[in-house]
Amino acid sequence: MTIAPDAWAVIGAGPHGISALKALLERGIPAHGFERDTDLGGNWNYHAENSRVYESTHLISTKPFTQFPDFPMPDSYPDYPSHWQVHEYFTTYAEHFGLLDHLSLSTEVVRCEPVGPDASDGWDVTVLDRTSGTESTHRFAGVVVANGHNWWPKIPNYPGQESFTGEIRHSAQYKGADVLRGKRVLVVGAGNTGCDIAVESAQNARSTLHSTRRGYYYNPKYAFGRPSDQTADLLLAMRLPLALRRIMFKTTLRLTVGDFTKFGLPKPDHEFFETHPIINQQLVYYVGHGDIIPKPDIERFEGDTVYFTDGSSAEVDLVVFATGYLAHFPFLDDSWLNPDGDHPVLARQIFTPAFDSLVVSGLIQPDSGQWTIAHWQGVLIAAYAEAMRDDPRAARAFYDQMMDQIQVRFTGGADYKESTRHYYEIAHQEYLRALEADLSRLEGVPA
Amino acid sequence: MSRAGSSVNVDPRLRKPTTVMRLWDWSLPPHGVHREVLSAVPDGWADEPRATRTPPLLFIHGLAHGAWCFAENWLPAAAAKGFPAYALSLRGHGGSGGSRQRRRTLMRHYVHDVMQTITELPQPPVLVGHSMGAIIAQLVADRYSPRALVLLTPAPLQGAGATMLELARRKPMAAATVVAGGTLPMQAPQLFTGLDDATADHYVSRLVPESPWVQYELLRRRRIGPVRAPVMVAGTKADRLVRVADIERTAAAYGVDPVWLTRADGQPLGHDVMLDTGWDRALDSVLEFVSANTMSRG
Ligand SMILES: Cc1cc2nc3c(=O)[nH]c(=O)nc-3n(C[C@H](O)[C@H](O)[C@H](O)COP(=O)(O)OP(=O)(O)OC[C@H]3O[C@@H](n4cnc5c(N)ncnc54)[C@H](O)[C@@H]3O)c2cc1C
Ligand SMILES: NC(=O)c1ccc[n+]([C@@H]2O[C@H](COP(=O)([O-])OP(=O)(O)OC[C@H]3O[C@@H](n4cnc5c(N)ncnc54)[C@H](OP(=O)(O)O)[C@@H]3O)[C@@H](O)[C@H]2O)c1
Repeated sequence: MTIAPDAWAVIGAGPHGISALKALLERGIPAHGFERDTDLGGNWNYHAENSRVYESTHLISTKPFTQFPDFPMPDSYPDYPSHWQVHEYFTTYAEHFGLLDHLSLSTEVVRCEPVGPDASDGWDVTVLDRTSGTESTHRFAGVVVANGHNWWPKIPNYPGQESFTGEIRHSAQYKGADVLRGKRVLVVGAGNTGCDIAVESAQNARSTLHSTRRGYYYNPKYAFGRPSDQTADLLLAMRLPLALRRIMFKTTLRLTVGDFTKFGLPKPDHEFFETHPIINQQLVYYVGHGDIIPKPDIERFEGDTVYFTDGSSAEVDLVVFATGYLAHFPFLDDSWLNPDGDHPVLARQIFTPAFDSLVVSGLIQPDSGQWTIAHWQGVLIAAYAEAMRDDPRAARAFYDQMMDQIQVRFTGGADYKESTRHYYEIAHQEYLRALEADLSRLEGVPA
Repeated sequence: MSRAGSSVNVDPRLRKPTTVMRLWDWSLPPHGVHREVLSAVPDGWADEPRATRTPPLLFIHGLAHGAWCFAENWLPAAAAKGFPAYALSLRGHGGSGGSRQRRRTLMRHYVHDVMQTITELPQPPVLVGHSMGAIIAQLVADRYSPRALVLLTPAPLQGAGATMLELARRKPMAAATVVAGGTLPMQAPQLFTGLDDATADHYVSRLVPESPWVQYELLRRRRIGPVRAPVMVAGTKADRLVRVADIERTAAAYGVDPVWLTRADGQPLGHDVMLDTGWDRALDSVLEFVSANTMSRG
């Protein structure tokens, strides 16, 4: 591994890591990436320890916004590619842009130490070569953290849970339907993972209960022959106000799926766009067939029985907690990104007040596909790194401006429901408009 | 891949900031059609180390042409000199599909076709656009950083309004055809200065109808975003489709001097520099530029 002096380190080679690495190199900023797994692709590298996709995963967002804007997916891919295709796509991207010469695989970052006051002399990054078991430390000018936030399981704790006699598994350990076959299954949580697993359970298990602590809007992948996310982008492109878009989406749901409560699903306790969108056309179908029985939140466990808050109970063999994931940065001092100990608060979800040369890419939960955003986060980081090198005063002014705006959130006007999973929720177009303005400022080209 | 380099000095009036918001791409994406890509790749090129080998050239044709216009001379000649050379037919042209949707085709469909071709190449290419293809190349370069950008007898960045007015004065019928949605009539004398009649007529007979919307779009003025790739702008002083002043303006937009293509006897070529007599010297100018601007950095 040869690392140029003044290089930036990129931690992780999922989509955010590889696009940041590429953006840096493309601007002539030396950079080197580290990936703990034997292959790149992150979440989409199915066999990796940290991958959370399961056998049947397809994108829930379609190609146009999901893909990198400077490297479209092949025309031969469907609207909603499979995780295998996504992995192939990232591999082609890395080969095309020559990233493999700048990336160490099977190499885990175990520690990042600032050198000098405020990291003014850079960063010492210690990596573990997972093949040989040896550690080594390298000096970098800056660090891009792109380790993903959808891999560290969030596990709830209900009364009696430890003494439950059935099996409990988090969706992080769910890779395919074989573990469901023939069992009485309870799926907890209705993020996209919970809904997918409930559907697979309906197709494979003996019986399926689906516990959610609120009602949701289950959006179809297609409505009126068009992918839903493209319609959402069209309405945003037309600058329709939030209230009108809400009416249109709810009307579409009414006209196509109908009233959810008639299927026995709980009524949503919130407005459209106030929870991270669920895109699942099949769940309601299986509820209608009685193959998925909706349940409210769990109250407690007792032996092999689960009691729900509505007083009902059921015997269960397997509980799958599809309760999401938490951000986790084991190679950083907790206080750097996360000063008050709850969750990271970053300007533009990228810049931290702790250090001006420590940035994050990927700590976002967009109401859309993600890699157009990954691309532009990478470009902004690279433009900033370039300014730090070539015009430190401009870079400083930009950083100060970012810090002044650290409280700015990009919600598209929605009031997200209180939940750990909405810490990083962003309205994608509003967010990108901000990045566009930031780039124009950094590059000195007024609009 | 590292491509250290200051951005080219650009005429500020033709500059715009980086475009992030591409709302129509996201909401109404072009669909794919069958794409013809012709190529000539030197033996053994694929096995050379990626970082140091000659970058591929991707040729983009102009109005009513097709990949064939590059396959005729340039692709094999470039490959013989060690350059892997590719040319695509934009939809509705050459051997590509989509001619039935011609009247609904927009410039962004062509950009889509080029982007698809790029992702099939093993590394970032040098984009070589001819005439309207030069506008496409610039639109592509606004979203994708090519290894270098070569604009040959480029359709004017400032918009083809002046060209149209001139056409209306000299050939009112031709201008009327374009306004009515017909394809810009192109005859041998407008494209070639040195070919014998039979060859010239043969090439003209291969031209196909162009999308009316794309022709209208050529009237539009375009601003260019930050460009980091080395840029070459080349024209000919005998061009009867693109005015010398427009070539100079395009070059100034990038802060470079235009290159004027001539035959050995000093006579300028016609608009179709890849087909006209003297195409070999025109290609040499392109290859020299590519060598000088890309080789050292791999
Ligand atoms: C089941 C599922 C389905 C999804 N579907 C979609 C979808 O349809 N559309 C969409 O846009 N998004 C989807 N997402 C969101 C998805 O997380 C993102 O698209 C994307 O994978 C995030 O990229 P990332 O690079 O930030 O993180 P990841 O993809 O998680 O990659 C992080 C990488 O960092 C590596 N790493 C971690 N720690 C270290 C370390 N210490 N040292 C070295 N390397 C390290 C990991 O091994 C991993 O390779 C889905 C997520 C899940 C869980
Ligand atoms: N492409 C695909 O097919 C696909 C598939 C799966 C996931 N994804 C993406 O991957 C990311 C993670 O999705 P995810 O579904 O794993 O997680 P998630 O979106 O965080 O959803 C977690 C679910 O569990 C509930 N929950 C959380 N904590 C709980 C608790 N303590 N008790 C009870 N319920 C609790 C949440 O309810 P609240 O409503 O109260 O928060 C929510 O319904 C998302 O971006 C998602 O879009 C995509």
